[in-house]
Amino acid sequence: MKRAFHPLTWWSGAIAVSIAVSSAHHSGFNLAVVGGMCLIVYRVNRNAIDQSPWSGGLWFALKIAAIIVLIRTTIGIAIGVPVPGTTLFELPILDLPEWMAGIRIGGAITQERLTFAFAEGLQIATLICIFAAATSLTSPHRLLRQMPIFIYEFGVALVIATSVLPQLVTSAERIRTAQRMRGIQRKGWAGVALPLLEESLARSLDLAAAMDSRGYGYSRNRSCYRRETMLPHDLLVIFSALALIPLSWVVLA
Amino acid sequence: MGGACVITFNNVSLIYPHSLHTVFEDLSFTIEEGEMVLVIGATGSGKSSLLRLINGLVPHHTGGILAGDISVDGISTSLTKPGGLAHLIGIVGQNPAHGFVTDTVEDELVFGMEALNFAPEIMRKRVEEILDLLSLAHLRSRSISTLSGGEQQRVAIGSALVMHPKVLVLDEPTSALDPIAAEEVLSILHRLVHDLGLTVVVSEHKLERVIGFTDRIIAISPDGKADIDIPEEILKKSLIAPPIVHLARALNLDSVGTSVREVRRMTTHLRDYTPLLSQPRQVTGETVVAIEKLNHLYGEKMALREISLDFKAGEITAVMGRNGAGKSTLFKSIVGFHKASGGQVKVLGNDPTELSGRQRLSTIGYIPQEPSDLLIHSSVAKECAASDRDNGLEDGSTFAFLQRVTPKINPDAHPRDLSEGQRLSLVLALILCGAPDVLIMDEPTRGLDYQAKSLLVDTLVSYARNLGKCVLIATHDVELVAEVADRVVFLADGDVVADGTTLDVLLSSPAFAPQVAKVMSPAPWLTVKDALRGIAQISGKDSQE
Amino acid sequence: MNTTNDIYRLSHQSKIVLAFTSAIALAGFIWPFFYIGNLHWIFVVAIAASAFLLVSEVGIGSIDAKSIALLGVMSAFITLLRPLGAGAAGLEPIWFALIIAARVFGPSWGFLLGITSMTTSALLTGGVGPWLAYQVFAAGWIGLLAGAFPQKIAGRLIRGLPEKVLLVCVGVLASFAFGLLMDLQFWPWVLGSNTQLSYIPGGAISENFSRFIAFHFASSMAWDIPRAILTSVLIVLTATPFLSALRRTYFKAAFLTPIEFKSAIQRRN
Repeated sequence: MKRAFHPLTWWSGAIAVSIAVSSAHHSGFNLAVVGGMCLIVYRVNRNAIDQSPWSGGLWFALKIAAIIVLIRTTIGIAIGVPVPGTTLFELPILDLPEWMAGIRIGGAITQERLTFAFAEGLQIATLICIFAAATSLTSPHRLLRQMPIFIYEFGVALVIATSVLPQLVTSAERIRTAQRMRGIQRKGWAGVALPLLEESLARSLDLAAAMDSRGYGYSRNRSCYRRETMLPHDLLVIFSALALIPLSWVVLA
Repeated sequence: MGGACVITFNNVSLIYPHSLHTVFEDLSFTIEEGEMVLVIGATGSGKSSLLRLINGLVPHHTGGILAGDISVDGISTSLTKPGGLAHLIGIVGQNPAHGFVTDTVEDELVFGMEALNFAPEIMRKRVEEILDLLSLAHLRSRSISTLSGGEQQRVAIGSALVMHPKVLVLDEPTSALDPIAAEEVLSILHRLVHDLGLTVVVSEHKLERVIGFTDRIIAISPDGKADIDIPEEILKKSLIAPPIVHLARALNLDSVGTSVREVRRMTTHLRDYTPLLSQPRQVTGETVVAIEKLNHLYGEKMALREISLDFKAGEITAVMGRNGAGKSTLFKSIVGFHKASGGQVKVLGNDPTELSGRQRLSTIGYIPQEPSDLLIHSSVAKECAASDRDNGLEDGSTFAFLQRVTPKINPDAHPRDLSEGQRLSLVLALILCGAPDVLIMDEPTRGLDYQAKSLLVDTLVSYARNLGKCVLIATHDVELVAEVADRVVFLADGDVVADGTTLDVLLSSPAFAPQVAKVMSPAPWLTVKDALRGIAQISGKDSQE
Repeated sequence: MNTTNDIYRLSHQSKIVLAFTSAIALAGFIWPFFYIGNLHWIFVVAIAASAFLLVSEVGIGSIDAKSIALLGVMSAFITLLRPLGAGAAGLEPIWFALIIAARVFGPSWGFLLGITSMTTSALLTGGVGPWLAYQVFAAGWIGLLAGAFPQKIAGRLIRGLPEKVLLVCVGVLASFAFGLLMDLQFWPWVLGSNTQLSYIPGGAISENFSRFIAFHFASSMAWDIPRAILTSVLIVLTATPFLSALRRTYFKAAFLTPIEFKSAIQRRN
């Protein structure tokens, strides 16, 4: 059997790395971290047997992160507090009325102002990417199974949601194909929503019957099949992540 | 039988609160340990309700008013909720894929045990046991959504067996499976009954496969009464019966056989003669679909290899083959869903990919495996009205057509509340009203009972022959092919492996012969009607000589 | 026998816990105005803990299989909708489905659906982060709000056009409320410390407040208005079929159907 990582490994690592990133406040460091994340996710998920729905999380988050950097930089340029330094270009000044806190848009755009805004945007983006990477690398099912017993019901609901999702995707495609073959062109994906909803609801009723038949909710106590253990490669990941914290202080200094 | 009684129904009557008629009236019977019991009945007669009464889903889960008592191994289902009976009764619903909570085979097997607080050592042992029993060991870490229908069915059975129940209840276990997967599941059930002494209760529509294994049959009639007896007795008078039984009854044999071998032994006297060769129907229509050297590349796989076929008007062709052999790719090419990678497809001289929406509606009709994928309105009447609009017909014509096919359909019913057969009729009506020149159906008989199937056969035959249209059906159902198809095309791995009249193709391979053919072999008869006609001809000839 | 339409009701104890944890969450949203120093990370942890507490309290043995199955499957359905609105971070076409479902199944279940759908979509689209606990509470409150409106007025069922209008209003309100909550949560740190609209730790309430208003106004233009419009449009388009599909399921699930055991049943054919 393939050696799998413990579900909490990547999350613990992510928390450690995020602490390092938050204390370092260094753009180069951040970029290196993001690059490292991408590489790890790519290598690890490439070997996965089944293409899981959550493995695309990082790439999705990268797009969001890029947008955030852009927005932050733009806002920083537009309404940033003027920072003296080498002026790159000038924007026309627009004074907003008093009731809007009297801010002025524009002014001299200095290199410092630009880089400052960019750096802060990058900080947020990195944090987003770190957690998105952890999500892409961890199966939510396995993570939920390690959750404490007192959130069992919630855990079950989430497990159902994450398990049913790929099947709903398949159903959506099947419905779309059927409708296109029939020649129902104008509705596109929107026409899929209602049959898909109906199918989802029929599913839930069948699922509830199956759960009741198997004893869900009958007994107040629940046991646990298997507690996952930390293997050497898990500890390797966690310690490397923790090692980044002192490293970040070095970088900062 | 002499076994201990496991399931006892005592004067059971059931009515659902919002309905007007009773489902069961004063039902009483017992099922003994180690029996395999088959429940048969027309659609809507209450088979599912009966099965769910056994483990208490009805009425605890579904609501309902129950009179009488049901006890399983001495425990009354009125006093215990279904969860409390989980260690005693395992149930697998009609749609096993819907009943999965988790995504991994191993996790799924474990779910029920965890919920009932089993000790970890016991859970581990049982998981291994069940994985071996059902040959699932190599699938243990696989994601359930990637498994085939037969494998998913086995996982569902495994999740029920993991509690070591005494009774296993299955609702239509083989209706969605192809013949090979169905055989596997049935042989597993057979083993469970004979090796492990489980009591198994199943409901099925396609009786051909199950009859041979069954100890007793419960036949539910539409008025809520049930008959329980050995198969030979029940099948003597039941309307619902597999072809060999119909044959035996039609030939006025002394008793009714439940397997091909039995009926064959009873009909030896009908086979000492030289059978006349039957004349297959001549199809003289023009070519509607012309396929020449069609190639299709699906990713890296060659889904279709240089296929050349012609389909004529007035001809009903069955396209058979394993899943993945290329049937759906072929249909998609004909419908114009995608451009061919090589070769060409012409429907009535036009390239189907270039048809506009309206033109496509009136030229090609396609009915998917799940007919409800096409239903988007909230009542039968609204669907028909929409179809009238789409096809440019007079108001009410679609509904009139529908009523001719299924007279008792309620116009205000929600399409999803209809039975499988009624839904199929509805979609058929919606599509046939546009009078498309080519009608393509994908696995139409899944989940249909015999009555709905014969309705389908009549509709297709009249559409093709009276209106001169071309009909293509992808199916695994050999009996359907025997009844309705003029021609059979057999695809395997993208190639056409056989193409000829139904008679030739079905008789040339013993595995694909319908039951009547197997019984009457070497006579060239596929259906009960053929056999009767053939025998009448022979005896007519004999009496002339 | 129950006489309400809710499929699941929070027990009294759960309601207390809900109120308590909501208060903490609310504090998490508005603390910047009232405190000196950076409590940001403390609140992130506090709110996450509250979420756990809430979830464990609500869950203990009291959610039946039907509610859970519906929660799971509807969360998956809603999550599926999310990537369709991707691109613009604020336009998430998930609210309309949440509001419509909560309307049919009641406020308590609606609250749970908010939580589970938000968590599921975060897990599956890589949106987990310090903001998740905030979003989860916000979504839960929206579900609660949407389900809380009465089904009847003066003895007559609210259906058809009035119901649609009600749902659209809830949708608009929810869009702006969500925007406000997210801005409150983002504001101390999204702008950075060096803009004219940034948060000043320990500054005068009026100063911070006016800065926030300006910030919120700008972000409202960008995100809240398009979100409100999208949600309203989606509700108008899908309310009728979705409501009827959900109500049919509610009926078929027989949540409140009587289960009776009798000694005999009169023939009623």
